[in-house]
Amino acid sequence: MMKTLRWIVFVIAVLAMNFPIIVTLVTSFKSARELSVNPGLWIGQPTIENYLRILTQTDRFNIYAYLWNSTVAALIGTGLAILLAFPAAYAIAKSDVGRRTLLPIVINLRAVPLIIFAIPLYMMYQWLGLLDTQLGLGLILTIVNIPLALVILVDAISDVPLELDEAARMDGASSWQIMTRIIRPVVRPALVTTFIFGFITAWNEFLFGLMLTTSRAVPATVGASFFFAASGGGVQWGTASAVMVLGALPPVLLGLVMYRQISGSMMAGAVKG
Amino acid sequence: MTIVRRSEGLGFLTPLVGFLLLFLGFPAIINLVYSVSTVTFETLRAPTISGFGNYLAVLADRDFWRATSFSLRFGLLTAIAECLLGLFLAVFLAPLLTKRPVLMAPLMLPLMVAPAMVGLMYRLVLHEFAGPVPYYLFEWFGDSPAFLDINNAFWTLSVVEILQWTPFAFLLFYMAYVAVPNDIREAAALDGASGWKVLWLIELPLMLPTLIIAFFIRFIDGFRVFDNVYALTGSGAGGSTMSLSIYIYQAFFKQGAIGKAVAASVVLFLASLAVLYMLNWLAGRRRRS
Amino acid sequence: MTSNRTCLSALAMLLASVSLPATSNATVTVLGWPGGSEETALRAAVETYNGTSGVADADKVELLFFNREGFYDKLQADMAAGSTAFDINLVATYSIGRYAPYMEPIDLGSEAEKTFGDAVLKTMQFEGKQYGVPTDLSLHFMYYRKDLMDALMQDEAGKKKYAEISQQFLGKALQPKDPDSWTWDDWAATSLYFSKQVNSESPVRYGTVLQMKNLLFNMMVFQSLPRAYGGDWTDKDGNVTVDSDAYRTGLELYKTLYDAGASPKDSLSYEYPETNAAFSSGQAATALQWNAAAADLTNPETSPAVAGVTGIVAPPAGPNGRADHIHGLGLGLNKNAKNKEGATRFLKWLATEEAALAYARSGGSPALVPEVVAKVAEARPDLVKLGEFASKYGYVMNGATSANALSIYELQAKEFTGYWAGQQSLDEALANTKSGMQTLLKK
Repeated sequence: MMKTLRWIVFVIAVLAMNFPIIVTLVTSFKSARELSVNPGLWIGQPTIENYLRILTQTDRFNIYAYLWNSTVAALIGTGLAILLAFPAAYAIAKSDVGRRTLLPIVINLRAVPLIIFAIPLYMMYQWLGLLDTQLGLGLILTIVNIPLALVILVDAISDVPLELDEAARMDGASSWQIMTRIIRPVVRPALVTTFIFGFITAWNEFLFGLMLTTSRAVPATVGASFFFAASGGGVQWGTASAVMVLGALPPVLLGLVMYRQISGSMMAGAVKG
Repeated sequence: MTIVRRSEGLGFLTPLVGFLLLFLGFPAIINLVYSVSTVTFETLRAPTISGFGNYLAVLADRDFWRATSFSLRFGLLTAIAECLLGLFLAVFLAPLLTKRPVLMAPLMLPLMVAPAMVGLMYRLVLHEFAGPVPYYLFEWFGDSPAFLDINNAFWTLSVVEILQWTPFAFLLFYMAYVAVPNDIREAAALDGASGWKVLWLIELPLMLPTLIIAFFIRFIDGFRVFDNVYALTGSGAGGSTMSLSIYIYQAFFKQGAIGKAVAASVVLFLASLAVLYMLNWLAGRRRRS
Repeated sequence: MTSNRTCLSALAMLLASVSLPATSNATVTVLGWPGGSEETALRAAVETYNGTSGVADADKVELLFFNREGFYDKLQADMAAGSTAFDINLVATYSIGRYAPYMEPIDLGSEAEKTFGDAVLKTMQFEGKQYGVPTDLSLHFMYYRKDLMDALMQDEAGKKKYAEISQQFLGKALQPKDPDSWTWDDWAATSLYFSKQVNSESPVRYGTVLQMKNLLFNMMVFQSLPRAYGGDWTDKDGNVTVDSDAYRTGLELYKTLYDAGASPKDSLSYEYPETNAAFSSGQAATALQWNAAAADLTNPETSPAVAGVTGIVAPPAGPNGRADHIHGLGLGLNKNAKNKEGATRFLKWLATEEAALAYARSGGSPALVPEVVAKVAEARPDLVKLGEFASKYGYVMNGATSANALSIYELQAKEFTGYWAGQQSLDEALANTKSGMQTLLKK
């Protein structure tokens, strides 16, 4: 009885939360003609025309290049953010530095629209030759990701019992060794979570991608918006949906690969107990 | 809480601080100069210092306060709803999910799609003639509400945000929930505690730090909402759905009022810093008492 | 530790794979408006140009297209920071004042005038100087359902109802008329008559589709209504006249229609695509919409429900006759261009009759003088209508090419939609708009 109820709740939650995704998927298989007469969730005459248009238009709209740019930039933006935030989080959680000043200031970077930095950053990038490069975009995404990475990692490391540190200290381990050999495996689920959230955030970033790239490093979100304009232009819903589906695939695949790591966080619980 | 020496701790902080200073130091200084200058896109390289006029203009701007109020209401409402729903799903579905981890995947899916895209898709989803929601409402009930008129836009936008980001809270809660050691649960059950009691007296207190953090992150994200609102209603009729981020973006790019936009961000930064310090201070006092 | 090392080496590999910024190119790079007919036409024109003998390799034209969303914000950042990524960039009538400081005026020679005519060249001028070649012209059409209008003309009971409705909402009993001779009142009466909420016997749900989202482009669609009543942004001396009776009449008419339910209830979030979707669903009797929508709304593939019965006329008339907002899209010279000579040569070529005709044949919408347009009339009958409407009814508001024109549209969008949504009174909205415009128009 209870089990049935759980299943019902599960199905409702999945359908409600994924509704726009379902519609996108359905729309991507409809022709323009069908879209104008059939707003429902069934497809009268399925077509892959929308996908073909995107995948074959490479001279004009190179989705492969966009996806590659996004992948590189998002990996830099996530990897570097974690590499920087992890030791900092360790220090904040386990020593008395950073908690009072650095942490609030960094968290605050998430509250402020970073786009106000666009113009000075643009000028700085121009000078450094980072405009329209994957590296330049990746570095900005690092900044975008640092606040969340720091919050999640500080939270996770704070939860690691001090006895673990103390025991390792007794064995003569240095702080660096404790961090990399004791703490890191214990907070692995948090690292994975940070990675997933960071990757998604980086992947979905639009404004910096728009401002700082022109042709060679254009990320998928910006490339995708070639098919629509939210202000003052038409939207080809079918094509736009298909490009959204393709553009969302990499983070979805990442999530599929990594969900086990998250739910495998039993391990952390065992250590805590 | 201090097992790492201060000097060592500073060493661990250095890469992060160095990186931030390197990348944001110069832009931050430029922005501070802009905020006290008369500056347009034409005079980016030669702003004229003009005192605190931009700050006064921001503080006297009715729209700035309206946007602040929108952001606060939106952030609070969505954060509360997302946390409650996320908590419910995490606890209620845990027995299913621990047995079949693959069920996590569809629950995480909404997070993977860019909010701007979601906003755009809702323009289709809610369209009276081309969208499935009104279509089925007309089919079944003969009428469909005006989702995006002046009275409903705020609620529609909130629901859009909540549906997309409840999985975020859910994910954090679920991890915290399964991290609660089973022996504690079992011990409590042996003592005859009901499921509710275990939840209320043992599990929730253990999850509390995560609850606070998730609420906090969701509040900040709701407060600074931009993409989905911008795609769906823009700044709304008469500016009725203008979040603070949209206010700043429009001042910056649409009005070219760079000084004003930056000044508004500085005000926002200082205000939220003050709130954070206060929370920190309260938390510290509580820990001590 | 191993995974740490893998992580680092992966990062190093990524860094190495990152591309370096390109060095200078010896061609002419043109930044055009992405997607749609403008892009297709520009591609074809450039192909013709590059194939012309006498164009040196160093002056061959390369095309660059951003995306559409946020295009102007990006362009603004690029130009203000002195980007050299393109030699020639897109410019529009309403943004010419904003970008002129980063551009260089060009001399197109006398042939340009013979191709486009003086009025159209003016859409690319700022403070008397020519900043661009006018490649495409945009204006509005009144789209309507021929079948519904024909039926109404035959329907005596309907005519009576029509008179009653117009008496009730507009204060005068009107008779249905041919759309091409509509006044704005006739249009309003028709819109009310064909709305279920007003007339439960209406065959369609709404009489019209108003684009009322807080968006600057929607103000361009709206302003032909006050314009037909003699409205303007300023008088000849530069005094802001947005609080005139003409604007009052127009704003009130929109609100009357929206409140009466003559336009979809979500109209406050409607812009171009929403309007198209509403009209092509077959549930709206009229829509004032951009000319660019004509192709979709009359195409049985994309609008099967209405393609065969969509009529197109110029916007209705007011006491001052008919008025149709026009603006041009064009291409002009970036001040920081690396290859200015090559770029100027291409722009001059683009302004010739040969180029304009090639552009028109490939789907572009240039506004051409009657003698020139006659040469493509067979292939592009819509261009004849475009040119006719533009020359007869086209107007540009005083100040609509000034440096802050875009900001003024933004301001109007915010204040006017605030009034339509019932957030503020008409007096407040007009007072706010007026004082804001006074600041924005001050030099």
